[in-house]
Amino acid sequence: MDKFLIARGLKRCSTARFAAWILPWIALLGFGLVAAGLCLIKGLNQTNMDNRFAFGLWIFLDLTVIALGAGAFFTGFLLYILKLHELRAVINSAVIIGFTAYSGAVAVLAIDVGQPLRAWFTFWYPNVHSMLTEVTFCITCYLTVLAIEYVPIVLKNRKLKEVPSLLVFEFQLHKVMYVLAGVGTFLSFFHQGSLGGLYGVLRGRPFAFREGLFIWPSTFFLFILSAAAVGPSFVLLTTWLVEKISKKRLVRTEVLQLLGRISGLLLAVYVLAKTLDTLIWINRTSPSAGFPAAQFYGWKPFGVWILFAEIVLFGLLPAIALLTPKLRARRGLLVAAAALACCGVTLNRFVQTVQTLALPTLPFDKFLSYTPSWQEVGTFLAVVAYGVLVYSFSFRYLNLFPEERELKLEPAAPQEEEEMAYAGR
Amino acid sequence: MAHTIFMPAFFTVLTVVSLTVLLALWRSARTMPKAEEIRWHADFHDLPAADRVCRHVITGEFRSRECPNAFDCGRCETHARMPKPASDGDGEIYGMEFPLDRFYHRGHTWARREADGTVTVGLDELGKRLIGAPDAVDLPAPGVRVHANGTAFRVKRREADVRVLSPVDGEVVATGGPRDEWYLRVRPVNDNFTHLLRDAEVRPWVMREIERLQLALTAEGAPASLADGGVPVADIAASYPKTDWDAVCGEMFLQP
Repeated sequence: MDKFLIARGLKRCSTARFAAWILPWIALLGFGLVAAGLCLIKGLNQTNMDNRFAFGLWIFLDLTVIALGAGAFFTGFLLYILKLHELRAVINSAVIIGFTAYSGAVAVLAIDVGQPLRAWFTFWYPNVHSMLTEVTFCITCYLTVLAIEYVPIVLKNRKLKEVPSLLVFEFQLHKVMYVLAGVGTFLSFFHQGSLGGLYGVLRGRPFAFREGLFIWPSTFFLFILSAAAVGPSFVLLTTWLVEKISKKRLVRTEVLQLLGRISGLLLAVYVLAKTLDTLIWINRTSPSAGFPAAQFYGWKPFGVWILFAEIVLFGLLPAIALLTPKLRARRGLLVAAAALACCGVTLNRFVQTVQTLALPTLPFDKFLSYTPSWQEVGTFLAVVAYGVLVYSFSFRYLNLFPEERELKLEPAAPQEEEEMAYAGR
Repeated sequence: MAHTIFMPAFFTVLTVVSLTVLLALWRSARTMPKAEEIRWHADFHDLPAADRVCRHVITGEFRSRECPNAFDCGRCETHARMPKPASDGDGEIYGMEFPLDRFYHRGHTWARREADGTVTVGLDELGKRLIGAPDAVDLPAPGVRVHANGTAFRVKRREADVRVLSPVDGEVVATGGPRDEWYLRVRPVNDNFTHLLRDAEVRPWVMREIERLQLALTAEGAPASLADGGVPVADIAASYPKTDWDAVCGEMFLQP
């Protein structure tokens, strides 16, 4: 029925099957929109957050999707600035992941701030001493850049490119894409950093407070590094997932290997930096604030295991797997390592947001627990559903993976041959 | 202090983004008349790497080389240094006639110089067999300007709606159709046929095209199979009723 919209030579499932796939997600989005609507109309009393626990599920979601969506800026940087042309195979997918991640995050922030009609205040009356202002400005600008980067992908749609003016605009926009990639890298660098810096400057929260360089606490750099490290992993993971769901080969194994290698390299640097940062915090920063670091890990369930999981299980192990050619050459291990890396950044953002606020910092303070309300969960799920829907429609009607058409004609190499071929890389 | 650094930085970013989009819009307005040329460049960029190979790879002179000029060999220094193709050989390949009195475009059209200075444009034998008896043909009116690698005319067959690419630049002076063996008569704006295949280049190219056709007809995920040694039938579309003919024609007529 909609074949005339699907790129020539690409096979997609029937309209009925596609409808069956998207309907549950639409239902979930609908449920989430009701929940979000309640928060907007009735106010933030619909959530379980309060003045003491001001950051919850939504900020955790924002930080996580923004870190995972970093694949867009980093892949763009590697392709357009460093000229790693192999990544052309995944750049469209990376842009859409980034676009959905950032637009979802901005939407949730608008609900979280609670006064969307006054959203423009932050631009008109900026508090230039606040990291949050930098975050707001950078995220808004970068979302604009991502929307512009998304335009040529949409204009490549089979029907749209028949219109000469759209075709010419797409062509000319594509030619200046390296400028947007550069701007995107600049903006991402700063807002990923500012999101981290936001926690690092919390003097009243010794669990999060960090020393650093000049005005930037160490978390500023750790957030940039971790986002750049897991961005390619998330692109890899998404590509693999779409391959599994659609039962198609979408990119060559070399491209997934390259993404894994880049991710592994940056993850190794991140693990080293994080370890050093933790050691400095344990031995100097925290004791100087009057808190032995061990004290923070005495509150269940936030034991030392969480630190071990963050640095070793979700950091060191995937870094080793992604950097070892023989391990990386095995598709299952490659994907598992990428998934572990993504879990690592998710856990890190959870710790920074939830554990920081749960821990008591004053003698009369208590360890707090927080459970999100169904309205918060609904809004969270709406963002997930929105991401899946945008990606699903994009995959169906746009050419997200330029190599797909070629790969469908190539016989898949046996796993053993692939392993031999890439073991030496 | 923060104001003086932060706000200018923010507005600089906004200015750069806005100027970039405006630049793209301005360039678009300026290059609108070249839409056909741009369409070809965009399509060429999206072709599979195997379809973008240099003509000298097809003839076996190079082992591998991707065409850097979107098949505009007139701009190619490498092509200028290569020896001219020999003019011997006959024009029958796999039971199909490819007369050597004309030039061939890789999108399955041919161009033949006529005594009156015009150029006749038609579908080559493989192109004809791919289309078979077309359901509809959309020809440009006399007086319309066609561009090399731009749309010459459109042909519909089953679900396939194909833009057939023009081998030459020029003004259409007459139109034919499937029954006439030719489709357009064009008054060329120049006598440059460098980008077209001719003489000894035609045979290896057609053989490669047959291979491409076999691949395009191969069902997705089909195992490797041996060629049966037959020749293409007169109406290939009719012989493959279940195949996505739009995809096959897109592949063969260089339209990703």
